[in-house]
Amino acid sequence: MQRVVYIFIFLILPLYSLELFVIADKNFPESNLTRSEIASMFLDKKRFIKEEKILVMNHKVGTPLRYCFEKNILKKTERSLERYWRKAYYQGRRPPKVISSIEMLFLYLKSVHPSIGYTDSNTIFNKKVTILYHVICTNDF
Amino acid sequence: MNKQLFFLFFSILSLLFSKEESYGWDIPNSSLNIGGYLDITYDEKREDKFLFNDIAMLFSANKNRFDLLGEVELSHISLDGRSNNSSDVDLNLERLELTYALSDRQSIKIGRFNSDIGYWNQSPIPILQETTSSPHIVDNFFPKATTGILFQQNINEENSFSMTFQDNKDIAHQDGSIYINEHKALAYYGVYSDFSWRFSLGKYTENSNSRSDYMGIGSEYDGEAFSIQTEFFLQDSDKEDDKPYSGYIQSTWHLKNRQDAVVRFESYRDNELDVKEQIYLLGYIYRPTSNMALKSEYIYHSKLRLNRFIYSFSVLF
Repeated sequence: MQRVVYIFIFLILPLYSLELFVIADKNFPESNLTRSEIASMFLDKKRFIKEEKILVMNHKVGTPLRYCFEKNILKKTERSLERYWRKAYYQGRRPPKVISSIEMLFLYLKSVHPSIGYTDSNTIFNKKVTILYHVICTNDF
Repeated sequence: MNKQLFFLFFSILSLLFSKEESYGWDIPNSSLNIGGYLDITYDEKREDKFLFNDIAMLFSANKNRFDLLGEVELSHISLDGRSNNSSDVDLNLERLELTYALSDRQSIKIGRFNSDIGYWNQSPIPILQETTSSPHIVDNFFPKATTGILFQQNINEENSFSMTFQDNKDIAHQDGSIYINEHKALAYYGVYSDFSWRFSLGKYTENSNSRSDYMGIGSEYDGEAFSIQTEFFLQDSDKEDDKPYSGYIQSTWHLKNRQDAVVRFESYRDNELDVKEQIYLLGYIYRPTSNMALKSEYIYHSKLRLNRFIYSFSVLF
């Protein structure tokens, strides 16, 4: 019986998980970034890489991708982020550019260098991008 | 000026420009953003009980490696008719700073800016804090603003330090806080997960030529259920009315989605008032939207007769 339960969990898990990829344009100067380096870029603490200003892109509030990103990469709750951006605005910092679709993300990645964003595993196949980091978010979004 | 119209104008403005995460108005085809904040307080111990404590305009712009940030503040407008002759209304340039990114990790700032000292002073306006009143440290231990140069070095993603220099007059006019013509300071900031800490030390000369040295430590924990912030400062001054020490610990408990409770305990010694006392604060905060806050708090002083309720409404727009 236990084996059946494990097999069931194994089969059902992918339906409730999301594999998130942090991606950058194909000529991005780094091919590997740590989680905290990525978080710094998305929190407007790190604006430059190899002396060039980075275009940072975020998804709309309320999307599963964004929830997964905030929880696993930024490691912040919605309340904590709200508080963070209120203070950041007063200090002259700005949140990342919000994109309205995955197509727009890839369009920017193709035309702006250096640029960074994130997407899920279903959309990166055959795309000329630099994969910087990946994380699996499970059934909590 | 008609106070009601004034209030209505800013309230509408605040609602128009409030968005999740992003505040202010981005001027099309430019990098300029204009916004502001306001707060109205009711303090039962103050002569002007109802007061527009602050109405400020914030503007910022960036181009390549340059960032410009400004804050012009109109403060102390009484809502019960006492400011009609406008003598107590105060227009002040709070900040005007130009930052240049020297590299990925270094930047230099010139102008008038909030001194990079302690936690509270990084965001000293009511909408950004959990209480309407500020701890004793804020106005008494170090200059809130510096007119000079600040160099910042990020050691890595989690650790940074800064150096501050001022050797000239303040470009703003005196507003009741420490008014200086010389300031040198060093500050360190570190983060580990939900926990962070700050260490600061410096010296300053006031316009009266009295000199003071200060040193402070602080830490903050920002968790899902609650947050705690604490700061402790020591001061050594050649003035007779110095303030040898002051510290506070403040905890905010997240009761519901947009409701918090806050408790604060302070202890300080003030030789000017010849008092050594403790202050206890209990407060409640409701944030209907991310850019608005309604707060109420009761403050109990162990020695001074300043026990009172304070209520406030503040907006960032």
